[in-house]
Amino acid sequence: MEIVKISERDFNEFIDTKIAEKESKIVSVVRKGTHFAFDELDSASSMCLDYDVTLLPPKKYFQPPKETMLRFVPKKADSYEAVNEYESLTLIGVHYYDLAAIYLMDRAFSDGEKDANYLVKRQNSLLIGLYPTRFFKYRFSNSVVKGDLPYKVADLMMIQMGNGYYALEIVTEKGRSFIEQAKYKKSDYSLKEIENAKNRIKDDQKLPVAVELTPDYLKQHHSHPVWEVFGEKCYSCGSCVFVCPTCYCFDMRDEVDLTLKNGERVRVWDGCMLESFATCAGGHNFRKNRAARFRHRIFRKGVNMPLKYHYWGCVGCGRCADACTSSIAGPVKILKYIEENK
Amino acid sequence: MIRTINNNIQDKKSIYLPEIATMVRKEQMTDLDTYFEFELKDRPLGHLYGQFVEISIPGIGEAPISISSPPGKGNRFEMVIRRVGQVTSAIHKLEPGDSVGIRGPFGTSFPMEELRGKNLLFVTGGIGLVPARSAILYALQNRGDYEDITILFGCRDPGQRLFTSELNEWKSRKDIDFLETVDKCEPGEWDGNVGVITTLFPLLKDIDPLETYAIIVGPPVMYKFVIMTLYDMEFSDKHIIVSLERHMKCGVGKCGHCQMNNLYVCQDGPVFVYDTIKHLKEAI
Repeated sequence: MEIVKISERDFNEFIDTKIAEKESKIVSVVRKGTHFAFDELDSASSMCLDYDVTLLPPKKYFQPPKETMLRFVPKKADSYEAVNEYESLTLIGVHYYDLAAIYLMDRAFSDGEKDANYLVKRQNSLLIGLYPTRFFKYRFSNSVVKGDLPYKVADLMMIQMGNGYYALEIVTEKGRSFIEQAKYKKSDYSLKEIENAKNRIKDDQKLPVAVELTPDYLKQHHSHPVWEVFGEKCYSCGSCVFVCPTCYCFDMRDEVDLTLKNGERVRVWDGCMLESFATCAGGHNFRKNRAARFRHRIFRKGVNMPLKYHYWGCVGCGRCADACTSSIAGPVKILKYIEENK
Repeated sequence: MIRTINNNIQDKKSIYLPEIATMVRKEQMTDLDTYFEFELKDRPLGHLYGQFVEISIPGIGEAPISISSPPGKGNRFEMVIRRVGQVTSAIHKLEPGDSVGIRGPFGTSFPMEELRGKNLLFVTGGIGLVPARSAILYALQNRGDYEDITILFGCRDPGQRLFTSELNEWKSRKDIDFLETVDKCEPGEWDGNVGVITTLFPLLKDIDPLETYAIIVGPPVMYKFVIMTLYDMEFSDKHIIVSLERHMKCGVGKCGHCQMNNLYVCQDGPVFVYDTIKHLKEAI
């Protein structure tokens, strides 16, 4: 893979010209108080690539929290019209575990029936990945994101080399034609220097079970008390699933404007931790108790997604552990509890 | 700059865009259940026995409903819809000539072709008769293709019986065995069997579990007891076919509502051979 080198100043200057061009929406990480978030840039100077984790993963750009899928005139079935709106998007500074999550989202929306609303947004995006430079206390990506998964979706990968320089790995032709417009140099870093810079941050957290073994491990502990013990503390608030970069469950609902003349069918985020998620018409709830819902979320990541996609369904970002009101949502904590109470 | 994709581009078509169907017939069956016949504009629905569609009214929403007619009615198909939520209540208020949105058909189907030459035992409870009926009618239309056909139907009370004229016809037919029961009834209201569906099994004539396939469709609570009874009759898991209910919101294996362990009931089901899901803790 070709690697180039660019100074932070030249990179920022280049990004400013891209912002001014207005051809693509330029999004990167910015400060939000004491936290960080992906947001549209109005200047490269507000970009903050030295961050721990963003509040929400970048999935919000491909599966927005609320998205119009159809337009119609209420009660007129012949008025249904499909809506698929997108804009060109350049996403800068996506940590490697969030890239792995985007790969899983791509699979979910393209395997079997193709979801054009998601896929068109993805096809019109350019992803510039990044290796973390800041520690995050709940992150355990090192122990779950394996191999080249981030490279299946990245167009470019950025590595912060220090002294005001980035190394950029050119992953796709799309990435190459983007960075060719900037003032870059040939990389003079050794592969060892690059590897060291990629691995500068070692996660403090680690899955107590090897990731390849977790599907069987979890299945063996399907009836372990952990689900009841942790489930009892769960508020069913859904925070863990809304911040999760690999959760994509949704609801569809109809909204009609005040004139009652125009309406939309919108797709909104939904989550299996919410009490009524598995309720059928007539009221039967197939996952009525909290323990069953709590287990379902972990089994979905740790058993079902590996079965379907051959990758663990959790990328170890730690957002769920951070967002959880009861401090119970983190997979590391759950598996540790099982290990300690076998 | 926000751009819009034209939905006519083949690989960019929305999987959420309904087609239009017109209601051609409507008949109330019980206090909550109404029979409807719909007609698609340009094509036959192309469904198989036990599949479902997503039916919608713009401004109200969408709901998954089983098809109760076998294929072969041209562009027309039948459904029985229970009034339990906003969408189904709104559909009940429609009249012939009104239109609805239809997506589908979705899901797996009863393997009627593979079951040729075998005995069929249908075990249906309440509104479970609706999806089973597409297979039952097919088997009756092709009576010579199957050996013994037994149909069991149970519902809450006599007022909940669906397709009553068909039930009466089945009862009078000599070439099938039809037995029904109600969970409860008022004195003098019902002269048939009273009790849950499994109370019909002792009334059955000998059934050869090696040559018979059981097709079970009913409320969630029914499966466990029926399967236990079939085990007593020495049915193997491969001879038990179930159709399971879940909240099949999108129909295309995306939204997550109908997940049952690693399966999406809307695509991997709703019809399952029991030995393929027996090990799933969330199944029954």
